[in-house]
Amino acid sequence: MWLNFAKPASADILCLLSFVLGTNCATQFQVKLQLTSSKSIDIKFPCGGGRKSAADITGIEMFAPDCEGCRAVRIVNKKKAWHLVAADVVKDPDGELPARWEDTPRQPSWELPRPFQAPHAALAVNSPFGTFSQSTADAILQDMSAGLDFASASASPKSDSGGKRFGVRKAQASPPGAPKHAAKPDAPARRPSLPAGGESVSENGRRFVSRPMPEPGFHLYASLPEFQTLWVSRLLPEGRRPTASSIQVAESALMASVFLQPEFRSADGDALAIFVRRDAVFFAGYRKGEPVLWLRCPSSGGSAAMKSAIVKTLGVGSDLVDSVLNESLIDPRPALEPFVRPILAQLELSLAYLASKHSLKFDHALLMGLDAGAAHWSTYAEEALRLRLVAPDPFGGLVVGKGVESDRASEYLVALGAAIAGAEASQ
Amino acid sequence: MNSSSLHLNLLRPSERLSSSPVRMRVMLPVGAILSCIGLLVWWGVLLTQLVMTKAQSAGIEEELSAKSKEHSEVIRQRDLARELKLQLEQLEFYRAGVRSVAEPLARLAEVVPLRVQLKQLSFTPPPRQVLQPPGMKAPLFGPTENVETQKLVMAGLTTKETPVVSLMESLEGGFERLVTHERKINSFRQDNAEAEGRKLLSFEVEYTMPERRFAK
Repeated sequence: MWLNFAKPASADILCLLSFVLGTNCATQFQVKLQLTSSKSIDIKFPCGGGRKSAADITGIEMFAPDCEGCRAVRIVNKKKAWHLVAADVVKDPDGELPARWEDTPRQPSWELPRPFQAPHAALAVNSPFGTFSQSTADAILQDMSAGLDFASASASPKSDSGGKRFGVRKAQASPPGAPKHAAKPDAPARRPSLPAGGESVSENGRRFVSRPMPEPGFHLYASLPEFQTLWVSRLLPEGRRPTASSIQVAESALMASVFLQPEFRSADGDALAIFVRRDAVFFAGYRKGEPVLWLRCPSSGGSAAMKSAIVKTLGVGSDLVDSVLNESLIDPRPALEPFVRPILAQLELSLAYLASKHSLKFDHALLMGLDAGAAHWSTYAEEALRLRLVAPDPFGGLVVGKGVESDRASEYLVALGAAIAGAEASQ
Repeated sequence: MNSSSLHLNLLRPSERLSSSPVRMRVMLPVGAILSCIGLLVWWGVLLTQLVMTKAQSAGIEEELSAKSKEHSEVIRQRDLARELKLQLEQLEFYRAGVRSVAEPLARLAEVVPLRVQLKQLSFTPPPRQVLQPPGMKAPLFGPTENVETQKLVMAGLTTKETPVVSLMESLEGGFERLVTHERKINSFRQDNAEAEGRKLLSFEVEYTMPERRFAK
C-alpha cells in the first residue's frame, strides 16, 4: 500500500515535504519523508521488522538425503548468550520438494511441534538443483543467463496459459528453467545484472542471491529454482509460529554453523573449517568472520564414501564403522588413508591460497560434521601439512538446554547454521 | 562480527510472512480506513452541528427581527406609561399643593373686631414658574421650585391700636392654613378719614402664608 500525500513541484526552490506510507509486506512498515525530488528519508518503524536480528529462531534442514524427517534446532538469545532450547528431527512436510513447476500447486501447510514454534524459521534446503559456490561475477552472470540445467523440457508446464503461479508470471510456452528470451527468439537477449549484495533476485526461473567476498571480483552466491523457493516459502502458513524468515541452500547454512564456535571467536573470526557431509567435503575459510573461501573438495566423496571404503576394505559391517574409527581394536588406516590423503592434498592448495591471497596462516583447522575418526584425520593432517584438526562440539558456544540430546550433534550442523545465519547473530 | 555476512537469504522481504495473528498488512489498511471513517464521521457530526447551529441562528435572527418591532412598541408604551405616570405624579403634587383659603377667610370675618375695618386683603403674586425653560421642546409638567411662599397683606382702618392687636392675636390661633406667625407691620399711621369725630388710623400688616409644597 502506498499513499502519496504530496508531490514536490519545484524541488530546487521549495523544500517540499511529502509523506509516503509504505507497507509492502507483513513485516515492513516504513514512512518515506521526501524533502525534495532527489532527497528523501526513510523511517522504518520498530514494528516493521526490517533487517533486525531475530532473537528466537528455528533452523531447519529440509530434505536431507540421510534423514527421515527434518532436523531442527531452536536457538534463543537471552542475556547476551545463545541458548539451544530444542534440537530434534521433526516430521517432514506433507509432500516432497517439487522437482517441476507442475508439482508446485500442491502446496502443503506445515506445522512444527511446539518446541520449535519460534517467531521465525530459517529453512536450509537440500536440493539437487541448488547451488552454493564461490565464483566470479562473470561466472555468476553466465549461470544466471543459463537457466536451470536439468530435464526442464519434461518439467515444463504442459499448459501454456502464461498465468500466475505463486506470484510469478511465466513466459508462455517457456520452460521455467529456460532463459526468458528463449520464448521469443526474435527478441534480443537480455543480459542479467549482478544483484546487490544480499538481495534476492529471480532470473530465468531461478532465485539468486550473492555477496561480494573480500577478494575483489569474487562473490559467494546461492541459487535455487524459483518454484522450489516459492514452495518452501509457503510451507509455514502466515499467522502461526513459525514463519519463514530465511531460505538458504544447505551448504550456505553449513558455512555459518561455525560462527558461534568458541574457537572461531577466539581466533577473531580467522578460521579454516572442513565440513564433512554425507556426500561431499567442503573447505571454508574465514577472515574476521567474513567468508574468503568456499570450496567443494573435488574428486572426493563424503562420509558415506569414507564408511563405504572402510566396509569394503576392512570387511566390517556398516554398523561397526563408527566403532572401528573411534576405537583401536581394528586399525582403519588402510582404508582411511587413501580416502583422506587426496582431501589433504586439496586442503594444502587451499591453505596456500589463503596464505597468498589473504595472508591467513593456520596451525589448526576445524573439522566439522564428522561422526567418528577425527583423530585419524588429524594425525594425517599433522603428518602431511603440520596442521592440527580440531573437532569441536557442534553445539559449542551455545548454552544447551535441558532435555536437548547432543549425542548426534554433528548431524544438526546445517540446521544450526541456518538458524545462526537467519538470526544474523553478533559476537 | 555479525553472521549476516554468512547469510545468503533467497527469501525476498516481500515474501516474508508474519507469524503474529495480528497481521500488519491487514491491520494497517483496516486501521487507516477506520481512521478515515472516524474522521469522516467526526466531520459529519461537526458539519451537522454547524448546519443546525446556522439554522438555529437564522431562526433566532428572524425571531429577533420580528420581535424588535414589538420591542420598540413596548419601549414606546413603557416610555408613554412612565410619562403619564410622571404627569399623574405632578398632578398629585398640584393636588397636594392646593391651598384652600376659603374657610379661613370665612372665619376671618368672625374674628375681625368691631373697631377694625379691613379695606384690603390681598395675596402677593406667587413667584413665576418657568415651565418652558429655554432649549426644551416640551414644557415641564410641574414647577421647577417645589416650595412656593406667598404673603397675605391685610390693610384697613381702626380707631385705635388695640383692636388691631386683638385681630393679630386672633389670627395666631386657628388660622394656620392661612397665615403663619411670621408677620410684619408695614404701616400704622394717622389717616385722613374720620369716624365719630375722631381721626381713624390706617394699618397694613403683612403675614407670611404657610408654604405651598408641590410634594406628596
